[in-house]
Amino acid sequence: MKFKRPRSWTQWIRRFCQLGFLALFIVLAWNLHFIDDANTTEIYKIFFHLNPLIFLLTFLSTWTITGLSLLCIITIIVTLLLGRVFCGWFCPFGTLHTFFTWLAQLGLKKKEYQNRTTGHRIKYFILFAMLGMSLFGGHWFGIFDPFSFFYRALTTSVFPAFHIAIEESSTAIYNEDPKIFGVPVTKISEPIYKKFRAHVFRMSQKTFYTEGTIITFTLLLAIGLNFLRPRFWCRYICPLGGLLGLISQKPLMRIKNDESSCSNCRLCSKACPAGAQPDQRGNWLPTECFVCWNCVASCRSDSITFQFQLPGKNTITTGKLDYPRRTVLTAMATGTAGLLGFRVAPQSKQGQPFPSTLIRPPGARNERDFLQRCIQCGVCMRVCPTNAIQPAGIEGGWEALWTPKLVPKIGYCLYSCNMCGQVCPTQAIQPLSLQNKQKTKIGLATFDKGRCIPYSYGRECLVCEEHCPLSPKAIYLIEREVTLRDGRVVKIKQPEVDPDLCIGCGFCEWSCVFQDTAAIRITTANETRNSKNQPILVFEDTYPAGVENTSPNSPY
Amino acid sequence: MKKKTRRQFLIETGCCAGVLALQPIIGRAQDKTSPLDMVVCKWKGDPIPEEPTREIAEKLTKKAIESIGGLERFIKKGDVVWIKPNMAWDRTPEQASNTNPDLLRTLIELCFNAGAKTVKVGDNTVNDATKSYVTSGISAVAKETGAELVYIDRSRFKETNIDGERVKKIPIYPEMIESDILISVPVAKHHASTTVTLAMKNYMGVIENRRMFHQDLPTCIKDLTAYMKPKISILDAIRILTANGPQGGDLKDVKRLNTVAVSVDIVALDAFGCEILNYDPNQIGTVKKAFESGLGQIDYKNKLKYQEIVV
Repeated sequence: MKFKRPRSWTQWIRRFCQLGFLALFIVLAWNLHFIDDANTTEIYKIFFHLNPLIFLLTFLSTWTITGLSLLCIITIIVTLLLGRVFCGWFCPFGTLHTFFTWLAQLGLKKKEYQNRTTGHRIKYFILFAMLGMSLFGGHWFGIFDPFSFFYRALTTSVFPAFHIAIEESSTAIYNEDPKIFGVPVTKISEPIYKKFRAHVFRMSQKTFYTEGTIITFTLLLAIGLNFLRPRFWCRYICPLGGLLGLISQKPLMRIKNDESSCSNCRLCSKACPAGAQPDQRGNWLPTECFVCWNCVASCRSDSITFQFQLPGKNTITTGKLDYPRRTVLTAMATGTAGLLGFRVAPQSKQGQPFPSTLIRPPGARNERDFLQRCIQCGVCMRVCPTNAIQPAGIEGGWEALWTPKLVPKIGYCLYSCNMCGQVCPTQAIQPLSLQNKQKTKIGLATFDKGRCIPYSYGRECLVCEEHCPLSPKAIYLIEREVTLRDGRVVKIKQPEVDPDLCIGCGFCEWSCVFQDTAAIRITTANETRNSKNQPILVFEDTYPAGVENTSPNSPY
Repeated sequence: MKKKTRRQFLIETGCCAGVLALQPIIGRAQDKTSPLDMVVCKWKGDPIPEEPTREIAEKLTKKAIESIGGLERFIKKGDVVWIKPNMAWDRTPEQASNTNPDLLRTLIELCFNAGAKTVKVGDNTVNDATKSYVTSGISAVAKETGAELVYIDRSRFKETNIDGERVKKIPIYPEMIESDILISVPVAKHHASTTVTLAMKNYMGVIENRRMFHQDLPTCIKDLTAYMKPKISILDAIRILTANGPQGGDLKDVKRLNTVAVSVDIVALDAFGCEILNYDPNQIGTVKKAFESGLGQIDYKNKLKYQEIVV
């Protein structure tokens, strides 16, 4: 028997491919930046466009097709021809798991993991549950979709952690100013840090709320599970893998296990990260196989080969998908029930403007429509230049977990920026022109006059007025007489909000001198996207001169 | 003694009268050897060309700085210069919320010509620094001229004693005050709290925790100016913002003045700024307060060596 090196060149090509796509994914995510020309944003969504799961579920829940999402047909065709190469060669999240699987098995004796278990059904269960949900107009697949999962984790934990590590350490060196042989360390560290700040980070440091920490834990969990089973996420949980598995039941490219030369050593089975049973002749599972060529490379007798088989001919038999119709119905019923469970919450009532702090980015659709599209991917959180967009917790109901919301005390909606709508892969946030975005109301500012300094402490302040980006400003000043403690009567300029003009960008709340709870706060009142949340009757005749109607009608 | 003829007498008288008449002119010429305190450069070329400000800004800046004695008067060879423009807002140069980039280009070049080793440009911005720097056009100017564009790192501000009347301690950006000279280059703007925002208010970009200053801006700004001890300040009045300041946004509020003023007296410069924005400097809290504390003169026309130049 001819001895072959257990690693063949096909695997190096695959690894090269995987690393390339992983790098591309990370670089695209890292470089997503508000200065970029709005026309080039499509390239940043390319991974999401190639994802058939996003296309399918958005289509089912909204009956519309967005952007370039039809590009996912490429993925479908490739899968029909070659099986789940998407998982083995392309998916960046899969690459991450490949790496950690390798790390987990480093130095361990090759172990044979169970081939097919009932655990393999979980991904189909999640997929059909999501399908059931989306048929009734809701979904939660952003939580499980690998691209959303990975992007969200990168945005809210990996990138900020990297940024903080570099920035804090260089600041620590700067403040301590240590010297080695009389040469200050800052001589080296400062130029490096400044290069990083100007060309690598570009944006100022971003931080995310506790939800960001939870997202970090989900990523760590997904990675850690690789130590239990090779590519745990991919073989058991990933609903995109499930969808591609459904498509690849009868691929053209199949594994042929040559009976005459096979010595039944089962090395291939040990090498298989998917549990696709390459060792069981005629029972190889194309629905599970990642087409990673590990089995081919591991075989010492060249018994395993990938061969093309034309449709109609059935020379190479394969194992069948183990997911009976009855289970499909169960899963779909469970999903529907889950959706009903989501909708029991008062927040989920259609048009209910609750809670008042759930401020959506400008251009976000009506809440129900928004949730049907939002895949919780975190692209908007990445691009937001002020760090305003944060992952929501469950304040909008479970259905709205990790969807974007604005927290004005952390960041405000920049008047001259409309990037979140431009980069949203499913148009949950509509791509508004800058002009339309500047007319879109996301909330309304209200003064807490018991806290605001000119009202309650008899002093000038007006920081909020200075920051109001509108022209004419939505915050105006009225000079009023105030009696001070010593009896003096002074004239003080007191700020007021014009509800017709205010777009709720939150710059005032962000700028308020009170850092704990601002004395001017934004609530969702007046938001353009919700016709039931309009407490202010529009008085067009009292508009200041030169101002046109900015009330809800234009961009929707 | 020789008797004077009438002709001779007339000639001599004429000569004397001529000398006397010329004296103010000669005197002024002699004055020029001791440098001026303040120069205002105006552009005569009207009608004002619609778009190109670059040429106007460059000529005005060059002339103004040349007339005050050149930057060599303030910058030694090998100095680190920090230029502190207004660039706190994500607005374009046309909106006049940030200092004119063309003026800054000329200024940076003049700094290098005067022997500066490094020219740093930076501001503690209100909008995100990266975006403001780019939109204001100043990022491109820094790249073009070789100046270092500094992004302010909020965690680096150091509590500093400034022992003012109102402000005792305030976080100041160390890199700024460690520079050999800090030049305040504001654009003349309207401001709701202080009515106008000019060179002294521009120092608000050197510090952190500045929001609470608004409860008594004139005194706080005076304290800060006293601490900063400005050597030279330059006022950009090429475009000025007359309403909805300091951020503006509406081009209707922008006025083309095509003027650049340079002064060693920051209060005088601000007084001039008030006048071009149509306010009486004696009514403006910041200027008044600074004058009363002896930081400079309001009546720059009579108290300072002042010159107005039309280019």
